[in-house]
Amino acid sequence: MREITLSQAVNEALAEEMRRDETVFIIGEDVAEAGTPFKVLSGLVEEFGTARVVDTPIAEPGFMGIAVGAAMTGTRPVVDLMFGDFIYLIMDQLCNQAAKTHYMSGGKLSVPLVLRTNLGATRRSAAQHSQSLHALVAHIPGLKVALPSSAYEAKGLMKTAIRDDNPVVIFEDKLMYQDKAPVPEEEYLIPFGEANVLREGSDITLIGTSSMVQVCQKAAEILGSEGISAEVIDPRTIVPLDEETLLASARKTSRVIVVDEGHQSFGVTGEIASRINEKAFYHLDAPVLRMGAMDVPVPFSPALEDITVPTPESVVENARRLVHGEMIHAA
Amino acid sequence: MSRAKAKKSNVDDYLRMYRQMARIRAFEDNANQLYLSAKMPGLTHMYSGEEAVAVGICEALRVTDKITSTHRGHGHCVAKGAEFKEMFCELLGKEEGYCRGKGGSMHIADQSNGNLGANAIVGGSMGIATGSAFTAKLLGKDDVTVCFFGDGATAQGLWYEVMNMAALWKLPVIYACENNGYSEYTRTDEIAAGSIVARAEAFGIESHQVDGQDVLAVNALTEKLVARARKGEGPFFVELKTYRYHGHHVGDINRDYYRSKDEEKDWKENRDPIIRFRSWLVEQGIANEAEIDAMNAEIADDAKAAVDYALAAKYPDSTEVDMHVYTDVKHALARGDAR
Amino acid sequence: MPHEVIMPALGMAQDSGLIVAWHKRPGDAVSEGDVLFEVETDKATMEVEAQTDGFLLQVRRDAGDDVPVGEVIAMIGDSKEDVQAEESPADAPLPADTDLPTGREVIMPALGMAQDSGLIVAWHKAPGDAVAAGDILFEVETDKSTMEVEAGHDGFVAALLAEAGEDAPVGEAIAIISADKPEAPVQRSRKSAPAAAPTAPPAATAPKAAPKAPVPATPPPPARAEVVSEHDRILASPKARRLALEQRLDLNRLVREGYPQPYHVKDLEILRSLPAEAAPGPSSGARRITAQVPSDGFSRFALWAAEQAGLQDDGALLAGLAGASLKSDGAVVAVETPVGTRHYSVPGRQFGDVAETDSGTAVDLVLRDLRSSRIGSVHLGPEDSPVLTVSARGEGFALTLECASHHLTASEAVALLSDFAGRMEQPLRHLL
Repeated sequence: MREITLSQAVNEALAEEMRRDETVFIIGEDVAEAGTPFKVLSGLVEEFGTARVVDTPIAEPGFMGIAVGAAMTGTRPVVDLMFGDFIYLIMDQLCNQAAKTHYMSGGKLSVPLVLRTNLGATRRSAAQHSQSLHALVAHIPGLKVALPSSAYEAKGLMKTAIRDDNPVVIFEDKLMYQDKAPVPEEEYLIPFGEANVLREGSDITLIGTSSMVQVCQKAAEILGSEGISAEVIDPRTIVPLDEETLLASARKTSRVIVVDEGHQSFGVTGEIASRINEKAFYHLDAPVLRMGAMDVPVPFSPALEDITVPTPESVVENARRLVHGEMIHAA
Repeated sequence: MSRAKAKKSNVDDYLRMYRQMARIRAFEDNANQLYLSAKMPGLTHMYSGEEAVAVGICEALRVTDKITSTHRGHGHCVAKGAEFKEMFCELLGKEEGYCRGKGGSMHIADQSNGNLGANAIVGGSMGIATGSAFTAKLLGKDDVTVCFFGDGATAQGLWYEVMNMAALWKLPVIYACENNGYSEYTRTDEIAAGSIVARAEAFGIESHQVDGQDVLAVNALTEKLVARARKGEGPFFVELKTYRYHGHHVGDINRDYYRSKDEEKDWKENRDPIIRFRSWLVEQGIANEAEIDAMNAEIADDAKAAVDYALAAKYPDSTEVDMHVYTDVKHALARGDAR
Repeated sequence: MPHEVIMPALGMAQDSGLIVAWHKRPGDAVSEGDVLFEVETDKATMEVEAQTDGFLLQVRRDAGDDVPVGEVIAMIGDSKEDVQAEESPADAPLPADTDLPTGREVIMPALGMAQDSGLIVAWHKAPGDAVAAGDILFEVETDKSTMEVEAGHDGFVAALLAEAGEDAPVGEAIAIISADKPEAPVQRSRKSAPAAAPTAPPAATAPKAAPKAPVPATPPPPARAEVVSEHDRILASPKARRLALEQRLDLNRLVREGYPQPYHVKDLEILRSLPAEAAPGPSSGARRITAQVPSDGFSRFALWAAEQAGLQDDGALLAGLAGASLKSDGAVVAVETPVGTRHYSVPGRQFGDVAETDSGTAVDLVLRDLRSSRIGSVHLGPEDSPVLTVSARGEGFALTLECASHHLTASEAVALLSDFAGRMEQPLRHLL
């Protein structure tokens, strides 16, 4: 199978959906000729024109609000938010308007929009361009949240997101745009709420999101060489969350580590760990561990930044302790 | 009253304008009573006094044209064609309300008549209205969207962002600022520097000021602007000088500290849009006093019947609580999670 | 002192109760425990008993009334006099609402953000006064601020139904304004108003929650884990506990055998592989009992014996304690250590008399001294003689007695081990 980058995969997904459905359009800063700073959208304006690949002023709340209104009246906007960190700027439009409109109108109005943005540290971009804020929006009922972990996932999830009648937020990992993966030529979609079991194992389950899926994969390889059989699962979407698959794996291996790049406290790792604890408690042979980003603003210095995120080595170390029956956080 | 002369062919339109204004007043009088007598939950804001704004504008719109509304939104909703029964049911949180009781006074939406909904965030719908106009342009439709907001909302930054884009892209949107002189409990001159009209003009947007108590003047201006917006000459800005008879919300009754009783009395007695239009109708021979009284009585009966119906109507079943969170999930919490 | 009879809160989520029937009539003598009335709530009918002795009086609510929880519905007085005293005011005819003048009701308005009632600070009009809609009719205090409320209607004050200083629920009519000048304007307080059905707030008419399942009189005993630790709580993973429960494995055995906690699923394999514990009873050939003692008693004693009494052979001390525990009139004890075995004759309680003897002598008791080894627990089965094993466990010693049933009866075995444990814990008492 051919291999393309995550960036190309997103580009293909958008182009295919825009060809299929003329109500789909892209709106955001420097999305047209510039094709975004990450060049993800390069070439789209040539095919679809500036009417459907709409450059905006630097006014995130404004174009987000316009997208909400456009979505409510018969179009399918794909909003391009240059950095995930800017999500704070559009919170009212996203969380008070887009997320609640369907509910507040008793099901009469809907907001079929996609918010494309990114996450991920270790790009030396410091505290305002490095955050992974997906937990923030996953907290809000009415929004769906997808976290692609490869080029293949990015394309399939984007196409599903565009066809979804609800507001969907997709976070791409900005360090993965140039990562290649096999992506079929023929069309495919990846349904929301169906986790992907990347590797089967019997001793421990590693649940990873976005780029942390790769971290878990590498950790599983190291553990395998030590005779520890690790299962690796990518939930793909955290809202909706495929609890069944995660719980089944937890019941099978009886040990789980959840790895996510958002801040560890009050985050995705805690939510998933808590659900496993509630629903698979009597199958657990060890506490479910959370591994998120350190609870500090992302530092600039490489010497500091690199230690804030989970690594294959840190995952392996925790996995060993669980499998060997070490007392974790014993009083 | 504006110098407009009644044209024979417009008789029905004039009577309909009067009826719509009288309906808004009747709706609000009943809503006020429901709230004060603790039969209505929540918080509500009365539109009484501003009727000519909503009616003058909405009478210039088609059903397919869109509006966005505000926390003081009952008037917009009635003017755009909503029914009393579904509105009162919504105010009382009943299943037959426009939003099945999930929105309430501050979130009534009536998409069948192009009302994209009231918004409890001041200025929160400015993006939505502009986006609705964007849809019309993208899809090549000639719909026009009117964005209602108050003078208080002109302090929100969102407005300037979306006006900028609407002007750049020539979107068919009319920003209608209902300047009732008060931003919640504060006089507008204390919160607005310079001229509000000049702010829109700074974006190159054609702007107008009109007497918001004169339904004919409002309607005549809106007719012109809507026609031009349909041809791609938008956006436009209109500042409508008007007045709210009640406080910011029902319950804000001792408001001497921000405005005087004399001022209120003056607006109510000398500038009431309904009284003024009524005398004009009689003067022009469009209707006589008895006919108008009969119309008022009929509206009062309609309102009372709708209130009685809503009071007796059924609340939504508790199983509705997790419905309509997502379009494709019947019960969002059925599996302990959205699926 | 009259006692209030109130509508009790009986259901799980109950706002009110429906009086189905009164079982006593006004003036009846009642005793504590008598059924006073029946109330229906949450789909169940319950009998409510009198809480005190006395006479029922002032019944304010009738059968068929739905009464808010907490409302006083009757009184129980001490005497017939109480009945008279309490009933006399009730005899006075109260103005029924139908007696009120006709006109527009003025209600206590809901003004605050979260307001249930308003305190009437003052009336600005008196009964009979003419009022205009914009006139201030009264002042109300709510949410810590005082507001002036307008009459709302033109006309005359026909009735004031609450007094200044009274708190009225929002929605309640507190005045009546009539179009014509009233002939007999009414002024009264809320307290004197006839009991009328209160205006139900929206919450009261909200759909009721699904009926709750009745609480059984005696709840079933909670399912108990069979794993009950002998000492402290056992640390084990949830899965290990669940599997142990399902497979009837006793985690205490792992504790007794000295396996370190916490236990995980893999430890259950060890548990399954352990030989069956000796079942009690004469048919069994083997006995094994264990005890645990602190080690400092013996350690201090050994130190003292070496320094003060010149008894430097730990083996002899152990043999002395063990031998005396078995027989008071002399025994031969073989002391096994990882290094080797030595035999001692123990004629009595005096350590000085304990002497090493030939290895050929018939042995009454073997003392296996594993204090210096890493073995925590033994389960070796009976040998030719009873075997007492002393091993280190934590801060103390584990003492294990193993023997065949023909060596010692069960009670002899228990006596031997408890005697020995006592001597090990307090060796000085052995000398007394």
